[in-house]
Amino acid sequence: MIEVLGLKKMFNEFIAVDNLSFQVNPGEIYGLLGPNGSGKSTTMRMLLGLLKPTEGTAKVMGFDIRDEIVEAKRMMGYVPEEPVLPQRLTGWEYANYVSDIWRIPRGPEREEELDELLTLLDIKDASDDLIETYSKGMSRKTSLVAALIHQPKVLILDEVQAGIDPRGAATVKEILNGLRAKGATILMSTHVLEIAEQLCDRIGIINEGRMVAEGSMADLRLQAKGEKSLEEIFLSLTGGPDMQKIAEYLGDVK
Amino acid sequence: MTLNDLWVLLRQDLAQSFRVSGAKGKRTEQRSTLRRLFLPIGAVLFAVVIILGLAWVVPRIGWEILDTLLTENIGTGSSLFNILLLFSFIGSIMISATTVGNSSRMEYLMTMPLSLRTLFLEKTIIVILYSSAFFLVIGTPIFIGLSIVSNAPLAFLSIPTFLGMMVVLSTLGVSIGGLLGLLFSRILAGRRRLKQAGWFIGTSLTVLVSALYYYFIFLSDGFGDILPWLGDILAALGFTSGISPGAATSALSLGFLVGEPIIINDVFLAFLYGALAIVLVNLNAYVSETAHYSGWLASGSKRTSKTKTPVVHDIWDPQTIPGFKFNTAVSVSVWYNITNIRREGRVLAQYLIGPLRFIVIIIFGMFAGGDLLMGFTPFIVIAITVPFVVSYAVSFAGYELVYEGKNLMNLQLAPLSMYDYVIGKVYSSAPFALVVSVGTSVLVSVLAPSLLVYVPAVILSAVFINQAAGGIAANAAAMGGDFKAERIVTRQRGASVQMPIRGWSILRAQLFPNMLGFAGLTAVLGLGQLLGPLFTYLALVPFGLICLSLSRRYARSAGIKLTEKEASDYL
Repeated sequence: MIEVLGLKKMFNEFIAVDNLSFQVNPGEIYGLLGPNGSGKSTTMRMLLGLLKPTEGTAKVMGFDIRDEIVEAKRMMGYVPEEPVLPQRLTGWEYANYVSDIWRIPRGPEREEELDELLTLLDIKDASDDLIETYSKGMSRKTSLVAALIHQPKVLILDEVQAGIDPRGAATVKEILNGLRAKGATILMSTHVLEIAEQLCDRIGIINEGRMVAEGSMADLRLQAKGEKSLEEIFLSLTGGPDMQKIAEYLGDVK
Repeated sequence: MTLNDLWVLLRQDLAQSFRVSGAKGKRTEQRSTLRRLFLPIGAVLFAVVIILGLAWVVPRIGWEILDTLLTENIGTGSSLFNILLLFSFIGSIMISATTVGNSSRMEYLMTMPLSLRTLFLEKTIIVILYSSAFFLVIGTPIFIGLSIVSNAPLAFLSIPTFLGMMVVLSTLGVSIGGLLGLLFSRILAGRRRLKQAGWFIGTSLTVLVSALYYYFIFLSDGFGDILPWLGDILAALGFTSGISPGAATSALSLGFLVGEPIIINDVFLAFLYGALAIVLVNLNAYVSETAHYSGWLASGSKRTSKTKTPVVHDIWDPQTIPGFKFNTAVSVSVWYNITNIRREGRVLAQYLIGPLRFIVIIIFGMFAGGDLLMGFTPFIVIAITVPFVVSYAVSFAGYELVYEGKNLMNLQLAPLSMYDYVIGKVYSSAPFALVVSVGTSVLVSVLAPSLLVYVPAVILSAVFINQAAGGIAANAAAMGGDFKAERIVTRQRGASVQMPIRGWSILRAQLFPNMLGFAGLTAVLGLGQLLGPLFTYLALVPFGLICLSLSRRYARSAGIKLTEKEASDYL
C-alpha cells in the first residue's frame, strides 16, 4: 500500500508538488496523469527516496519514506521514464547485479527466474550483449526485468510502455494485470490516456503540483458531469490546445 | 550501510571498467583477450622490467650511493608526495562534484535498497582507486626493486607503507577536492554565467599559481626558503621533515628503505592522516547524500507557481568573442561550446592535470641540472604555457566535438558547413589561451624585466599554437572519437583512463601540437635571444601562418569526416 500524506516539494521558490494526498491500495493500479511538468515524476522520486519532501510524508507498506527509506525501497520496484543503465554490462550481468543488490540467493532457481523474465520480455537473445548496444525499448524492458526480479509488493512505473513494441506493450499489460490479481500495489504515470483508461482502477489527475480530480473512471465522469472520455475530462481539467494560436501558426506556414 | 552492499557495488563498477571476460553477444563488438587485458598486462610488464632492472643495476653502481641520495632527499620526497596529493585534489574537484551532479544517471542504483550514502561512498572510493592507480603502478615496483637491493633490515616494510600512504594521500586529496567541488556546485547551481566566468578565471588562475609556484621553487632551494619560519617551528616540535601528509609518507617509506630510525611522531602523523582520510571520505559521502536528497544542486528556477510572468526575449545575437564577427554557423558553434562548458567541465579540470604532470617532469629535470640551468628558468616558466594552451584546444575542439554525440544527427541534417562548426569549436578555446598566455608572460616579465619586449610575441605564439592544436585535436576526434561516450556512466565520472578519444588518435591530438608548440616557441624566442628582439617578431609571421594553415587544414578534414559519420557511430 502507498499512502501519500500532504506531500509538498519546493525548488527554491518553485512549488513542484503542492500538498498532494492520495492512497494506492493492494491489488490496485493507480494512474497518475497530468501535463508535462505537473509534478508526477517529482512525486514518484519522493516516494523512491530520491528527493526530500519539503513538507508532508508518505508511507510505503507502512514504512515512512523520511525515516525508513531503505526498508521502503526494499518493497518497491521502479521503472523510470528514461532508464539509464550501466552501458558496459551485458543484460544478463545487469540482471544478476541487481539480484545481488536485492540479496536474492544465487543458484539455479534465480537463474531460472531471470531466464523466464528475459524470455517473457523478448530480450533473452540479446542478454549477452552489452547494454550500450540496446535500443530504447530494449533498455526499458531490461529496466522492467530489474524492477520485477525481487517480486516487489509495490511497483512504480513512469511511462512504462513508451518506446516498447506492440507485442512488448501487450506483455507488460498482461504482467501488470497478473500482478494486480496477486495483490501488488501499482502506481503508474502515462501520457497515453487509453492505457490509463484500460488498466487503471483509479486515476489521479494533477496539474501544477495539485490534485485536481481523483477516482475511478465512473467517478471522474460523474465529476465532469457527463459521459465524457478520459481525454475530454483531462483536457477540461488541465486545459486543452489553444485553437486560435494553432490557426494563427498554420496561417503563417507557407 | 553494510559492507556487503559496498562490496557488490565496487565489484560491479570495477568489472565494467576493467572487463576481463569478453561479452559474447552478437550485437557487441568482440575484443581480443590481448586488447581487453592490455592495461593489466602492461602494468605487470612494467613492474617486472623495473624490479629486474633495479635488482641488476643498483648492485653494479653500489647501494651506498643510492642510500646516500635517498637519505639526503627525504625532504624532496615530501614535496613529491605532496604534489601527488595535490594532483588527486585538483583532479577530484569536478569529478566528485559531477558524480553527484550526474546522479540522475545513477537512478537505477538509487532506487535500490541501499542508502544513498553507501552509494556515494562507493563512487568516491572508485574515484580514489582511479586517482591512485597510476601512482601505485609506477611506484610499487620501484619500492619492491629497491627493497630487494637495500641493506636495511626492514626495507620490505617500505612497500606496504608506500601502498598504504598512497591510498591515504589519494583519499585526502579526493575527499577534500570532492567537498570543495560540492561547495562550488552549490554556489554555481543554476548560475550559468557565473559558471562560465568561474571556469575562465579558475583555469587561468590554476596556470598562474602553478607557474608562480614553480618559479619560486627555482628561485629558492625548495620550500624551506619560502617559509623558513614554518620549518623552524616544525623542527622545534620534533618533526623530521614537516607535518604535511607527504612528509609522513616520505619519512616512513623512504626511512624503512634506507634504514633511517623511524621517529614516533611520523608514525603518529601517518595514523592521524589515515584517520582523517576515513573521516573525510565518509563526510564526502554524507554531504553528497545531503546534496542530492535535498535537491540543493538542482538548477535554481526563477519561476514561481504563484505568479505568471510573461517571458520576453531580446533579439538573438550572441557575441561570444568580443570584437570578432563570424558567420552564423561559426558563431553558434563558438557560443554553444562556451555555454556548454559546464557539461564537460570535469574533463577540462581533469585535463589541466595532464599539463601539470608534464611540467613537474620538466621541473624535476631542471632540478637535476642545478645552477647550470638556472638561466633558463624564465623560459621554462614561459614554456609552461604550451601544454596548457594545447590542453585547452584538445578539450574545447577535441573532447567537445566527441561529446556532441547524438547532436551530430541534427548537425548532419542541417544545411550547415561542418567545417564552420568545427572551426567554431577551435576558435572557442582562443580566449582561454589568450588569458593564460597574458598572465604567464606578464608574470615572467615582472620577475625578469629584460623579457618584457617578448611579451606580445609569447601571447601571439600561444594563440597560434592553440589554434593549430585545436584543428589537429578536432581531426583526431573525428577519426578516433567515441561518439557514444556521453552516455557511458563510467566515463561520466571523468576517469582519466577512459577518455573519449581512443587509441593513437589521442596521441596524435596531444603529441604533435606539443612538439609544434615547444619547437615553435623555442625558435621564435631563441632567434630573439641570439639576434635581437626584431628577429623574434620576424619569425612570428611564418610561425603564425603555419599554425593557422594547420588549423584550417585539419578542421576541414575533421568536417569532412564528421559529414561522413554513420548514425550507428553516435546513436
